[in-house]
Amino acid sequence: MGDFNITVNGKTVPAVKGQTVLQAALAAGIDIPVFCWHPQLVPVGACRICLVEIEKFPKLQVACATPAADGMVVMTESPKVVKARQGVLEFILAHHPLDCPTCDKGGECDLQDVTFKYGLDYSRLQEPKHRNIVDENSTFDDLQIGPEIIRNQNRCIHCYRCTRIVDEACFEDDLGAYQRGYHTEILPPPHREIRNLYSGNVVEYCPVGALTNDDWRYKVRVWLTKQAKSVCTHCPDGCNLTHWTFHNKIFRATSRPNENIDRGFICDIGRYGYQQVASSDRLKQPMIKKNGELIEATWEEALNLIKTQVSELKSKLSGNAFFGLIGETSTNEEIYSFQRFLRRVIGTSHIDSRINRKRRLTFGEEVTSRAIAPDHVSYQDIDKADTFVVYASDLHSENPITALRIKRGVRYRDAKIIIINSRSTHLGVRTGATNLLHKPGTGLAVLTGIVDAAVSSTTFDKSAVGLSDQQISEFKQAHTELLLPKAAAMSGVGESDLRAVADSLVRSSNVVIFCGADFSRYPYRDEELLALDNLRRICKSAKLAVLPESSNSVGAELLGAYPNQYPGGKGSDAKSKFEDLWRGPLPDFSGKDMIGILEAINEDEIECGFIFNADPVRVFPDGNYADAVLEKLKLLVVVDSFMTETARLADVILPLSTFAETEGTRTNWEGRIQYTQSAIKPMFDSKPGCEILELLADRLGVSFGQGRPSEVYGELNKSLGDVLPVRYEMFKSEGAIYDRPKHQPKPGFNRVAYNAIPSDREYPNFLTVGNADHHRGPNTERNPSLLKFTGDPFVGLSEIDAKELMISDGDLVKVESRTGKVVGNARVIAELPGKVVFLPENFRELRPNLLMGLKEKFDHVKVTKM
Amino acid sequence: MILSNDTKSKIGEYAKKYPKVKSAILPALHYAYEEQGYLDDSMYEEIAQVLGVKFIEVAEAASFYTMFPKQKRGKYYIQVCRNISCALLGSHHLTQYLLQKLGTKLGETTKDHLFTVVEVECLGSCCSAPMMQVNDKYYENLTLAKVDQLIDEWRAAK
Amino acid sequence: MQKHVLFENINDPKLHNIDRAIELGAYKAWEKVLKSIKREELVQMVKDSGLRGRGGAGFPTGLKWSFVPVASPKPKYLCCNADESEPGTCKDRVLMECDPHSVIEGVMIAAFAIDCHTSFFYVRGEYDLSMRRIEKAIDEAYKKGYLGKNILGTGYDLEMILHRGGGAYICGEETALLSSLEGEKGLSRIKPPFPAVSGLYACPTVVNNVETLANLPRIVINGGQWYASMGTEKSKGTRIFSVSGHVKKPGNYELELGTPLRTLIYDYAGGILDDKKLKCVIPGGSSVPVLMPDQLDTPLDFESVQAAGSMLGSGAVIVMNEDTCMVWVAEILAHFYMHESCGKCTPCRQGTGWLYEIIHRIEHGQGRAQDLDTLLDLAKNIEGNTICALGDAAATPVISTIKQFRNEYEYHIEHKKCLVKSDFRLR
Ligand SMILES: Cc1cc2nc3c(=O)[nH]c(=O)nc-3n(C[C@H](O)[C@H](O)[C@H](O)COP(=O)(O)O)c2cc1C
Ligand code: SF4
Ligand code: FES
Repeated sequence: MGDFNITVNGKTVPAVKGQTVLQAALAAGIDIPVFCWHPQLVPVGACRICLVEIEKFPKLQVACATPAADGMVVMTESPKVVKARQGVLEFILAHHPLDCPTCDKGGECDLQDVTFKYGLDYSRLQEPKHRNIVDENSTFDDLQIGPEIIRNQNRCIHCYRCTRIVDEACFEDDLGAYQRGYHTEILPPPHREIRNLYSGNVVEYCPVGALTNDDWRYKVRVWLTKQAKSVCTHCPDGCNLTHWTFHNKIFRATSRPNENIDRGFICDIGRYGYQQVASSDRLKQPMIKKNGELIEATWEEALNLIKTQVSELKSKLSGNAFFGLIGETSTNEEIYSFQRFLRRVIGTSHIDSRINRKRRLTFGEEVTSRAIAPDHVSYQDIDKADTFVVYASDLHSENPITALRIKRGVRYRDAKIIIINSRSTHLGVRTGATNLLHKPGTGLAVLTGIVDAAVSSTTFDKSAVGLSDQQISEFKQAHTELLLPKAAAMSGVGESDLRAVADSLVRSSNVVIFCGADFSRYPYRDEELLALDNLRRICKSAKLAVLPESSNSVGAELLGAYPNQYPGGKGSDAKSKFEDLWRGPLPDFSGKDMIGILEAINEDEIECGFIFNADPVRVFPDGNYADAVLEKLKLLVVVDSFMTETARLADVILPLSTFAETEGTRTNWEGRIQYTQSAIKPMFDSKPGCEILELLADRLGVSFGQGRPSEVYGELNKSLGDVLPVRYEMFKSEGAIYDRPKHQPKPGFNRVAYNAIPSDREYPNFLTVGNADHHRGPNTERNPSLLKFTGDPFVGLSEIDAKELMISDGDLVKVESRTGKVVGNARVIAELPGKVVFLPENFRELRPNLLMGLKEKFDHVKVTKM
Repeated sequence: MILSNDTKSKIGEYAKKYPKVKSAILPALHYAYEEQGYLDDSMYEEIAQVLGVKFIEVAEAASFYTMFPKQKRGKYYIQVCRNISCALLGSHHLTQYLLQKLGTKLGETTKDHLFTVVEVECLGSCCSAPMMQVNDKYYENLTLAKVDQLIDEWRAAK
Repeated sequence: MQKHVLFENINDPKLHNIDRAIELGAYKAWEKVLKSIKREELVQMVKDSGLRGRGGAGFPTGLKWSFVPVASPKPKYLCCNADESEPGTCKDRVLMECDPHSVIEGVMIAAFAIDCHTSFFYVRGEYDLSMRRIEKAIDEAYKKGYLGKNILGTGYDLEMILHRGGGAYICGEETALLSSLEGEKGLSRIKPPFPAVSGLYACPTVVNNVETLANLPRIVINGGQWYASMGTEKSKGTRIFSVSGHVKKPGNYELELGTPLRTLIYDYAGGILDDKKLKCVIPGGSSVPVLMPDQLDTPLDFESVQAAGSMLGSGAVIVMNEDTCMVWVAEILAHFYMHESCGKCTPCRQGTGWLYEIIHRIEHGQGRAQDLDTLLDLAKNIEGNTICALGDAAATPVISTIKQFRNEYEYHIEHKKCLVKSDFRLR
């Protein structure tokens, strides 16, 4: 229902206040051609193709920028309109090359479509076409303007969507339009490339073939392809993608705009991340270890081997000698099947998905008893917030699209960002954020200092936030070491900065607090959660979101990938319910988590395990230890798509189909469950996860009869209380949200315990880990396009440290810790504070986890030039 | 560092007047051009730094306007108005005369770096046509004799 | 008839010094406004005066001000449009060079009328002397306390910022001027929203021409009725006409609106140069249609000129004698619009260049029979379909010269040379 009606071509069309004529018409299914307009950009009315006739207006108006008004009478195809539109089209085409047959946009070109519709088949142009010549010897005038992007200026129709997308939607600045009039040229700034994390969007939204990417060009014609609806698996943002396939091969991924999530813009990692499906280290066939060497085998051989060995071990040992680890990019269905397989078929509760965390990360007692769980936060909450706190996260690289939403709030609603981190991040630099850059490991002091500044302020209205004098004085007594002057001194953040942030938080009416990957990686997670909860309590209204690490981390938690949790987050009292559902006995409820599992293997309590789509050797924060421990196993079955470090240790490898080859659902950071189609059939001799798990279960004597994801989904839904859509086909763009139970938090402040980081003279630097540009997590190095942005691993050093150690860019350096060492080329990073060493976690040649000692609370390292 | 500190502080000062600092890009370009006689990428970068705006904002703006060349011009930058009022009174002839007399081509700088002759659009001196602007100064109601005299003066002054 | 309102003291060589200007009455109006006139009264007074914009469109000034939502909490801005670049026009330059204080006093008064506390003076980049005179005038006004905080003890604050253009005709168009003022490329913007509602920095903004503003001190001192007593029924007051081209005494003449074109050309500008025959006149800057010799008796007021098929525009009267080749004229103007198109919207960006290329071809003996129809149709496809009026401005001379001088175009196409060869020489 609209606020009022307008008439378009004689048809009554509802319109909402603030809508343009175009938006109202499009909503009613009336098509008006556009070139420069894009739903997420400020309309500029420049291309003039959308001219329409509106009664009482002397001139034709652009539909894209004219606000709809009550009673307006609009004609979109009147003779006057058609004449003007043909005129505009003729102008656009005048100097446009007629190279459609060799243009990659051919078949999906807006200009081609509109031309076809308005039937212009002649040109009155007698003069030679304007030519922008880049290279005299080239017919096509291609200019590489970024690692992936090629520009053909002659095809450009000057709609400026590209430069506006870079500026208005991506908040970047590496593409501009120079000169005036028809000389205007689209280029990155001199001596630079377009290489921002969202650069591929300009190709997708260029209405013609002026901007294309290496990834897609000259490979296949679009009309030959099929499309599959998919959801990105590279981060928990959950952007919607379309995979374009031909002969069982994916040729590109584009955005599939979803208002609830990405609004049509995806990052390059999502765009080019499909390439790993065809990576050269894909596991093509099952493998069996014979005489210490992995050799190819048939499924039959592999499954039989597993059957004999497991049966043998099981006859001697209890289920407690088995464990299972699953990666958090697996689908909900795979996770559900996996834990069911372990619990019901193998009979163990030693299951975990949190394999890359060093600290024991079940919430500490205090956190649980005070009922501090993250809130339900969604993208919609971002749109409402006036202040964001981003804690311990490089949001831009970890959650690129969430970062965009926040930036949108900053640009268009004047929202504020407060970033608390020990290294400066892209988001902090680009948004005019308040950056509280603190010494490594002192985040707690910053948080508690801010709270102190707030409650100590004379203008603090404690009653407005429900705090009593007593609670405040208790807070002060409990944290004498973390109050203002000390907090500032300890963290290195100015006292006045802490006060200013406190002031702005207290004045904000709607705060969203995000904490990201570093939060889970580094010490004091529980304490930090308590401190963040304190921060929330000084705000009038604030929500706290803990951003998960992987595309389906939330699903893993929800569907029982943790030792002490059945699907739906259910506890031990649900045991009998699941015994009914799975028709058989289940083991003891409490199992071991990742750290416990490794300990138990080390102590020979656990001897056999299943690792599904996970690479603990690569990512567990003591790589040497994980390697050595897993080596001890009597039987290790690895189910994976790639030959990982962990797979090399396996006794049996089963080749797993990738995300592109299997359908299923995943849960993004909001808790939104979304469905993904399979784009292609399983490649090589691989099989989708659910099928493999069913085969294993069947071999081991407990068939569930659910080899297909849709079948698993049915039971999964039942286990959650049938709250999700009944069938995959019923998923809409808003997906489904499973409501987790809410806890009633205790009043007053939490008590936060804290010990300063001991300094280590021998290993004076602090190791931080994160993502290199255009990478995220351990899989992105399998995508050639992403390697064009950052191909080589590096050791990031601050300018100060580099100078002190006389190291310059490219020098070979050794990074050592008490437990290991790695060697790599140095890169001096201006944003890095002194005494901090940065290692990307994206490259197998330079694994930061080799430097991490399980016993070491902090990762101290030293760097030497080689 | 190309721009002098003096110019940079002038830019910084001027920027303070505006409600939004981005507005100071044009004045900054003028200051930089006044000092250097041309502009290039490194100057854009310095301007961007002084103002705290993006490099690209400076570069895009500069490329749009005609007054910020990327190459140095002759000491006497002669802009002959080619538009209608001047044309009616012989401006095309004036251009040809200048080119011939100075031995140069349109848009090119003489070898001694003294003269660059270009044709420009209307300079708002239509009632005193034909006219030309040399650097900042307007020379109006031109006659052959006047042009001869001016060129002699410039040549003498070097 | 010649009437010196704006040009009252224009010949005084010291007028640009504030002391001399004050002797001659400058800033009396500003004082009066600040001390004894309410904002609404001022707006009414200007409405009563019938003053219409002198920048080109002739929009009633008081009415334009009244569109500004004064109650809005956003700051309001006033911009003086001193980007004068319409070919043929050089009146604002004279005002700025000779009488800068009247101009900035006008800015102050207009600022007061819309409750603005930060005003901008956008001066054409090439106008070096104008810029320096205005800069000095503003400095002096600050020193004397006519600008700044708590002006003349009345509690009114007003800043005035000089902003120098970078060489672009389009920046005279008000929305492009605002883009330029914001530090961007001078690209025009789509309306609505109109600047009065959302202009500079998305705040309510009024853009007024130099000459429009310079009238304000006089209106304040003498009253709206006084101003309305000059001119015609709907075109009040005086206007400065810049007469250029083939006349004996080119120059800026201030006349009461409604004075016949003939009087201007023959009585004031001395008639046609070398006593040649008149071919035609462009009466309002290069963007308006030509008037023919038989239209010389047209009174120079908004309505009459419009009735005669042209427009008063910027008040630039360009006179051409019988030796003028109209294809050549059209080529010069087409080149101008091609060069100055900002390039934002399609018809203007592509159309201006295309028009030029065809006319250039015709002028150089390469015309084809179908070219004239193409030209007219292209011009029609531009006209009315662009973001700002530059597109219309480019189309007009083409349509108008073809309409009046089709024979010359045809001769060109057929004989591959001019019917009348324009070979104007320097004297
Ligand atoms: C292409 C174009 C160029 C213009 N150039 C000028 C100009 O140089 N000076 C000017 O005052 N108005 C110019 N105008 C008119 C302005 O847009 C605006 O209408 C005027 O400044 C308003 O002032 P006024 O109401 O006092 O006339 C131009 C308009 C267009 C479409
Ligand atoms: S390159 Fe494409 S998106 Fe950019 S201005 Fe040209 S046509 Fe538009
Ligand atoms: S879509 Fe409306 S002008 Fe381009």
